[in-house]
Amino acid sequence: MENKLQEVNEQAAANASDALSKLIDRQVEVEISRTEVKKVEDLSPLIGPEEMVAGIYLPVTGDINGAALLIFPKETAFVLSDLLVKREPGTTHKLTDLDTSALKEVGNIISGNYLTVLANVLQIKIIEHIPNFSFDMFGAIVSQIITAFAQKTQEALVIEIEFTFKPETFKGYFLLLFEVEQFKAMLGSLVGVAGGGFLETS
Amino acid sequence: MGDMAVIEGPHNLITSGVGSCLVVTLYDPKLQIGALAHTMLPLSPTQNADNKTPLSRNSSSESLPSQQACLVAEQVSAKVKDTKYINVAIDEMLQRMQTQGSEREDLEAKLIGGANMFPSFDSDIGRDNVLGAKEKLKAKGIRIVGECVGGSQGRSVEFSPTTGVVTVKVKF
Repeated sequence: MENKLQEVNEQAAANASDALSKLIDRQVEVEISRTEVKKVEDLSPLIGPEEMVAGIYLPVTGDINGAALLIFPKETAFVLSDLLVKREPGTTHKLTDLDTSALKEVGNIISGNYLTVLANVLQIKIIEHIPNFSFDMFGAIVSQIITAFAQKTQEALVIEIEFTFKPETFKGYFLLLFEVEQFKAMLGSLVGVAGGGFLETS
Repeated sequence: MGDMAVIEGPHNLITSGVGSCLVVTLYDPKLQIGALAHTMLPLSPTQNADNKTPLSRNSSSESLPSQQACLVAEQVSAKVKDTKYINVAIDEMLQRMQTQGSEREDLEAKLIGGANMFPSFDSDIGRDNVLGAKEKLKAKGIRIVGECVGGSQGRSVEFSPTTGVVTVKVKF
């Protein structure tokens, strides 16, 4: 069966690369290195519950209801901030309001591109809402999103993203959580399975 | 998340990355035993008509804090009791401590967490967790002797069952 998830990943990454390159006026390659379905209770060890991360949360409504959550480990957030506000590399050690705003824009770009491609492939309506930002422990950030959907969500689509600003590569994570039946239907349409398991897409 | 344990000294319990979740500790100064629960939601579906599809969990002892050796006298798996709910967790902690000889009037409760990690997003989860715990503890006649709740910061918690001392760590 055709794996539409691969198609979504490739198209979304290409679109995000173009948009980010224009934003920071430098060639950026966004690649999706791994896509995985995880149970929500298994998300916390993804990075480590006490690790400091930048979290950008975008509520999602429309034909499917859920959450998009961009996670940038601290180092990735600092590198992105240097690039976005045009500082010397290695300058950022604390996020300012300007950095926060710029990182939210990156979240908008990544999430917006992914959800737009997803909506086109699945031919459904997806509305992404304004981004919310937090810089704190990974466990604290991700658990609030899990809790918000605790009655309705069992699994999340975890998309590992690599940003390459040659010669360096930095990692981030894009998490998509939808209500159970909608999530199963979405996965069924994308990869022909009704949820669960590992989806090797690279 | 969603787990609880009753323990006796000298080892401590640690749970990390607490956001809107609420950590509830119970301490018995006479017996020097304590219980800790890392809860997620105020009410179990059986007591909340709006929540009809409880999340299926498959928790294990591996999800308990592991940074420090913990002598877990009794761990209540979420398979048996859904201790991610505050009301269930408090009932279970109380029952387990009473089984070990604690008297309800001796117990001291502390609350940690209940934050809103995204202040620009209107979320009542953290606040509801704090209110839910206070109501439940009041109904059970258990004193709250300390709290570190609300705000928009994540917390990590270390609890000593020997002294009842709770150490809260924030990172910024």
